[in-house]
Amino acid sequence: MKISAIIVAAGALGAGTAFAQQPVKIGGMYPLTGGGAVYGVPAMAGHQLAIEELNAKGGILGRKIESIERDDKLNPSAASSTMKELITKDKVDIVLGGLSSAVGLAMSEVSKQEKVVYIATIPKTIQMTTDKLHKYVFRTASNTDFEGDTMSLLAGRYKLSKLCNLQLDYAYGNDLEAGIVKTLGKNAPNAKIVLTLKPKLGATDFNPFIPQVMAAGCDGVLSGLWGPHFVSWVKQAKPLGFFDKIKWISGGEIASHEIAGELKGDFPDNVISNTYELWYHAQDPSHKEFQARLAKKLNTQETPQWALLGYVGVMYAAAAMEKAKSTEADKVSAALEGLTIKTPVGPLTIDPKSHQANMGQFWGPMVKKPDRAYRMMDPVEYIQPK
Amino acid sequence: MPQRNQLIASAALVVLLALLPLAGSRYAVDLTTEVLIYALFALSLNVLIGFTGNVSFGHAAYFAIGGYTCAILLTTYRWPLAISLPAAVVLAGLVAAVVGYFCVRLTQIYFAMLTLAFAMLVWGVAFKWKEVTGGDDGFTGINLPAMLTNHVSYFYFTLAVVTVAIAALWVICHSAFGLTLVAVRENNVRTGFIGVDTRRMRWAAFTVAGSFGGLAGALFGMYHRGMYIENAFWTESAQVLIMVLLGGMYSFVGPILGAATLHLLQVFTNQYTTYWPTVLGLILLVIVMVLPDGLIGLVSRVKARWGKT
Amino acid sequence: MTLTMFTLNAFYGLALAMNMFIIASGLNLIFGVLRVINFAHGMFYMFGAYIIFTVTKTWGAPFLVGVLASAAGLAVIALAIERLLLKNLYDKEHLMQLLFTFAIVLLMSDAAKMIWGTDQYSVGYPPGLGGAINLGFVLLPQYQLFLCVVGPLIAIAMWLLVDRTRWGRIVRAATQDREMLSALGVNVPMVYAAVFTMGSALAGIGGALAAPRVALVPGMDATIINECFIIVIIGGLGNLWGSFLGALAFGFVVQFGTVLAPNWQDVLPYLLMLAVLIVRPWGLLGRPEAGR
Repeated sequence: MKISAIIVAAGALGAGTAFAQQPVKIGGMYPLTGGGAVYGVPAMAGHQLAIEELNAKGGILGRKIESIERDDKLNPSAASSTMKELITKDKVDIVLGGLSSAVGLAMSEVSKQEKVVYIATIPKTIQMTTDKLHKYVFRTASNTDFEGDTMSLLAGRYKLSKLCNLQLDYAYGNDLEAGIVKTLGKNAPNAKIVLTLKPKLGATDFNPFIPQVMAAGCDGVLSGLWGPHFVSWVKQAKPLGFFDKIKWISGGEIASHEIAGELKGDFPDNVISNTYELWYHAQDPSHKEFQARLAKKLNTQETPQWALLGYVGVMYAAAAMEKAKSTEADKVSAALEGLTIKTPVGPLTIDPKSHQANMGQFWGPMVKKPDRAYRMMDPVEYIQPK
Repeated sequence: MPQRNQLIASAALVVLLALLPLAGSRYAVDLTTEVLIYALFALSLNVLIGFTGNVSFGHAAYFAIGGYTCAILLTTYRWPLAISLPAAVVLAGLVAAVVGYFCVRLTQIYFAMLTLAFAMLVWGVAFKWKEVTGGDDGFTGINLPAMLTNHVSYFYFTLAVVTVAIAALWVICHSAFGLTLVAVRENNVRTGFIGVDTRRMRWAAFTVAGSFGGLAGALFGMYHRGMYIENAFWTESAQVLIMVLLGGMYSFVGPILGAATLHLLQVFTNQYTTYWPTVLGLILLVIVMVLPDGLIGLVSRVKARWGKT
Repeated sequence: MTLTMFTLNAFYGLALAMNMFIIASGLNLIFGVLRVINFAHGMFYMFGAYIIFTVTKTWGAPFLVGVLASAAGLAVIALAIERLLLKNLYDKEHLMQLLFTFAIVLLMSDAAKMIWGTDQYSVGYPPGLGGAINLGFVLLPQYQLFLCVVGPLIAIAMWLLVDRTRWGRIVRAATQDREMLSALGVNVPMVYAAVFTMGSALAGIGGALAAPRVALVPGMDATIINECFIIVIIGGLGNLWGSFLGALAFGFVVQFGTVLAPNWQDVLPYLLMLAVLIVRPWGLLGRPEAGR
């Protein structure tokens, strides 16, 4: 009885306050605790920066923005409940965020049921914009098909012939592999995958795999090992001279400064990879200004790449609402289809059919610099899907 | 007669809950639906812990089997709910019977670890059997009968199912079977001497716990319109165990109290701070230090204070 | 599998086993004596890794100092937890301790976030151990070789302490009958405090020694706790050499299993435990306990 009293009280709290000039409510959900916090916390910082900037300019449609931020706990069921709460209790107009594929798809499911727009800013699973596509889900992150396409392109460019395919054994790894295989014949006709290995998600011990790759005699590895997986692989493989002769072409944003800056001298040779953002490289003056503002907010010059994704998501939400002259989900959804906006890394367009933005990434080799303790990408190439 | 009072209080609670949608808050209805499902889940685990003294570290397995089975039958095979839901319960119970057969030969922590091992195999199957379960992308887009797609009707459905299930569990736990289980918990050896096949009793309890856990899972999957491998992971088993311990395991209503408290704490702390683990951790710490019998200990202390029996 | 591959895999399995043994032996000690299912042991491991990061990378101290700092840091944390809180729970319902350690996990995970943020970190190999030794037919990484030496050393040190000293006899007696020990005039609470401190310090050392070969991220505590319990259980509860054997079984099964049956790698440790418990319900070196 006591419990139901609490519930009724909590419900009443949510029901009140309905007046003119209500703020526009934007829900942001990223993992802020546990293993996903490495990505979720900086993404949320970018999300906040965008909202602060918009509010400084008067908000959206002349209304202030109220930001409602939650931990998605990297758990799809918890994320689903939390997103429902944002919609039914806090009455948000739009929801942004997510990290893992499962959380992204769970949020997409709620968005479909509740008819509220959801913009996926980090999840890359291809399903979201193919089989499970619906009216209210959009993606501003890259996806595994783009990433795989670029990786096979690089295999061709570096004239690799014997490839080892190294993917984590879960949705992202399998999808990325599919993306690579789809385009390898076209992009690198002389290359052949001779060995495919799939360490488990969350693996910390890669010793079962390292000798197999070395014995296979590959001249290149196509890898989807991200973040801590890559770091652990490097720590365990480098003593064996693993990276001396093999080109390591990798998705999973391991060229980000978060990893290069931490591994410093341990970062291996012959790595060519991607990142959404590089604090030491600006596309144009407006990009540089964005980096300066972010640096100020985070109190560090060497800003993390994930902030950009949170930032772009909010920018898209704002632009769509302005274009629709409304915060109604149906109108915002219609406005998002085909919408082009200017982002720090250049203009982006959302494909009206797939609801996928043509978010590009910076690709390039990670090289030593005489005056730096860490490696930097040089030359930097911005590759955007057509 | 205390039992009659309990019955009246329970009926009053159900009626009160049934009136909840009239308050007009969609959020309150959803949250209560979640609490009801967790309450059933925790209660099902307590058939094992509270009544046999065996702790399971793998109860999420049956929750997941129930959830996935119901979801897959409804969606992939388009079976009606009237068959899918019972099938989910039966399958969860069957798997629990098989696993239980091996587990009840062990006791204490060895028992607990064996349940964990089996549960992680269930997780592994949900993960790798992608064609059927959707793998780690999860199984989304569950097809619900049209009459249950509305949140209020789903709430009433959950309330009805959970009420019936809890009543059934109450009857089971207070039957001769339940009393024998308590005897097994209190003194395994002596109960054996008086001719009770203690292993078989524990096996039966394991199966009952699994079946009702499966029912909770089925309700959960339909509520979220999705099942995910995280629902079978050991952290989920730990979560429900914490609910039981928090509420108090030697009482019938303890786990219900624990489930409601932990779930609501998790929801509300996340609303106020990203440092919710600290807040939740401190609250739990206080409860453990002050109320070593769980929340139910508080209830009985208050009762004793006010002289009621 | 060629001889080179076999040697290499066996060696890697051994190195993994030794790293895991160091962590699990602490859990075994605590569990065996205090009967506390310490969910927070994985968190202690993570703190060990983070502490060596701060000491060696931020403060620039040598690796060995870092390892000792991790051990000392965890000893202090554990002693505080035991003396201020846990000691009040021994006489209470056994399982409530589990709830207690769960609360500790929540608090420590947030504390780690406040102290170290959410960036990922890496600790370098100690000087002279970052390369590999060439045996002609196979290359063996020096650091893993180092782990293969340290593990047995710790095992022997613990064996001497528990089997050959008066204190060890008391500890062993405490696993059997705490009331009797107390009646004999032994200060049981101090034995408990010492055991909890020492077991937790071992988690700290294990975390520090793991740090150079893995990435340091939030959440690195999550799987290690289960793996430690598996090692302790398959070895036989409270048995030091059992844990050593359990760690070896774990290391080899995980290493060879992952090579030969990569599809099963997610559940290999659980399969191992399943097999052991069905054949030997009290673990490899454990003994059945009567009527508890």
